[in-house]
Amino acid sequence: MTVAVKTQNLPPIKLIRNVPKEEYYVPGHRTCAGCGPALQYKLVAKAAGPNTIFVGPTGCMYVANASYLCTPYTVPWMHAQITNGGAIASGIEAAYKVLLRKGKRTGELPNIIVMAGDGGTVDIGLQAMSAMMYRAHDALFICYDNEAYTNTGIQTSPTTPYGANTTFTPPGSAIPEGKTLFPKDPPQLVIGGHPAVKYVATASVAYPVDLINKVRKALNVQGPTFLHIHCPCPKGWKFDEAKTIEIARLAIETGMWNMYEWEEGVYRYQFRPKKYKPVREYMKLQGRFAHLTEAHIAKQQAFVDAKLKLHGIPVEVPAPAPRTQQ
Amino acid sequence: MAREMVLSGCAAAAQAAKMAQVEVICSYPIRPYSAIMMELAKMVANGELDAEFVHGEGEHAQLSVVLGAAAAGARALTGSSGVGVTYAFETYSPIAGGRIPLQMMIADRALDPPGDFGSEHTDAMSCRDQGWLMGWAETPQEIFDNCLINYRVGEDHRVLLPQFVCQDGYFVSHIPGKVVLPEQSQVDEFLPPYDLPHPLDPKRPVSHGPQIRPDQGTVMDMQRAQAMLDAPAVIKEAIDDYNRIFGRDISPFLEEYMTEDAEMAFFIMGAHTMTARHAVRHLRGQGVKIGLVKLRFVRPWPTQEIAEALSKFKAVGVVETSTSYGGAMQGGNLLHEVRASLYELAQRPLTTSFMAGLGGEMVPLKEFYYMADILSKAVKAGKTKKHVYWVGFEAED
Repeated sequence: MTVAVKTQNLPPIKLIRNVPKEEYYVPGHRTCAGCGPALQYKLVAKAAGPNTIFVGPTGCMYVANASYLCTPYTVPWMHAQITNGGAIASGIEAAYKVLLRKGKRTGELPNIIVMAGDGGTVDIGLQAMSAMMYRAHDALFICYDNEAYTNTGIQTSPTTPYGANTTFTPPGSAIPEGKTLFPKDPPQLVIGGHPAVKYVATASVAYPVDLINKVRKALNVQGPTFLHIHCPCPKGWKFDEAKTIEIARLAIETGMWNMYEWEEGVYRYQFRPKKYKPVREYMKLQGRFAHLTEAHIAKQQAFVDAKLKLHGIPVEVPAPAPRTQQ
Repeated sequence: MAREMVLSGCAAAAQAAKMAQVEVICSYPIRPYSAIMMELAKMVANGELDAEFVHGEGEHAQLSVVLGAAAAGARALTGSSGVGVTYAFETYSPIAGGRIPLQMMIADRALDPPGDFGSEHTDAMSCRDQGWLMGWAETPQEIFDNCLINYRVGEDHRVLLPQFVCQDGYFVSHIPGKVVLPEQSQVDEFLPPYDLPHPLDPKRPVSHGPQIRPDQGTVMDMQRAQAMLDAPAVIKEAIDDYNRIFGRDISPFLEEYMTEDAEMAFFIMGAHTMTARHAVRHLRGQGVKIGLVKLRFVRPWPTQEIAEALSKFKAVGVVETSTSYGGAMQGGNLLHEVRASLYELAQRPLTTSFMAGLGGEMVPLKEFYYMADILSKAVKAGKTKKHVYWVGFEAED
């Protein structure tokens, strides 16, 4: 019954100067200076090109973007509730399948891309995201991860790092570290339990060519794909808005963020440093971690070390021993 | 040739959806509506119906999947019952406000607590003010008719509203009745292809549902309200066409039974109308001047038609099969709006309401006789004693 309708082969690019000049995410939005999510949106839209439909669950990339009569999308875009990005995308894909089959639309199945924040991916939107992956819809789910509910005033989300000061995890005498939990791992959630998924990758605004190529690779796959994109947020993380790229790069250099592709069971890693820097170097630039003690930072270092081991990455930075009892 | 069949309400709904050539269907299991999806799943599996059948991961997802599908340009269908209907509540306003004319078939069911499989109108009635067309069917034939009529009205560019097509769980959904299945060519003549004005299409880019400023909100609310105000004329037009094409005699908003020279009447909707009809006939045999007015659309509420129809009676008993706790009338939902509809009449009938058929309870003939007795006493006394009677659970008036 289902017919294959996507034959596109978006080519990879080699250098930043080969990035297409055409913009599909244009001025007209109201994002903050130095906004990581807005930067990745622009790159994703460039990578995908004109035959694309974006689904935008509520989040920064809705609230700070989609103002009536001046939305920044030059391709079709549809708001979804923060709850249901995966489900709306599933419906669009199902509609296109049947409309193309019946000859009511012509051409290729469009690239259907959900542009969801971390809350819309692994918190309130988890169910719809997982179901889209399970049901094998031909669509790309992107989690632009700025590690908090930021347009609502910087509240903790499941991807907010341990120790972050958010408005729902303020540090105080009873809870000195602020956030006490360690974050969910979105790509591992997808890889772990969705047999229809063939391609999952992580990306970062620090490496735009890699990001574009991962988007294109995901869109060339027939079936559901998932990208987890690291997007520093100057407002939410409290750093100088000129340092978005520097912070993003430091996340990779300290192991706070890992760059990899997972394709049908095989991992490939990118931008893996020969020697990891201590997480302190990443954390000290951000106001959200300013209240932490050495003991807290050591706990974060141990978490990162364990995660790197899980990926088979040798850890070259020993966790410093905590100097004080928590 | 049209064929006469014996079908349950769920099977009739599925046949109507098939003849409407729905293109995207999204299911999630909950009794009793799930029988509609079981029928449709078979039709898709054996190639009778060319549609995408998506297994939603819950009712919220069901509504979201069909919203995406209908926004992309496909005729879409979903459905639910009971707590499933209320679980999806978040999506109802975005769908109606986005003016996406998809259809949701509800076989109603009591809400929890406690777990109860029985029919009750409260699930759908709780969602009545979001800007969806809404009405109940009395028989499987009527559910078949309402599916097609609602698609036609909802998809009309003068309306563009989604539709709750409701039937009483079990009493209609699972009790077979006679259904005339028309020719496909008749359905095609009645129901034009789905044609959303601005579908999601990369060839004609458009943004659906951007954020607005507070001062833009009222305008959009007014447009949604206006669509509801414009709907009655479109409903009349559609039902005229339906009657002509299918050789039927449906009245758009209200159906009256034995109301000529009646002094009092039941005002009722859905499955229990059938028992009420029998009660009225028996009572007429005993010389009681009673009739019945059946409501076909809750939204849009036919205010003018109700005022005209009910003004000729001395007393009206509104049979409520839904709850409205703490409301002005201390019982169901319908009496509020019936009274509001009558307010401007110089000569208003006495009105009261009867809580009956809640939780899936039968409303037997003797309960309608009890209601008729209360109405008779009200006519004699020239006043009603109470706004609400919990039928079968309070001492005789």
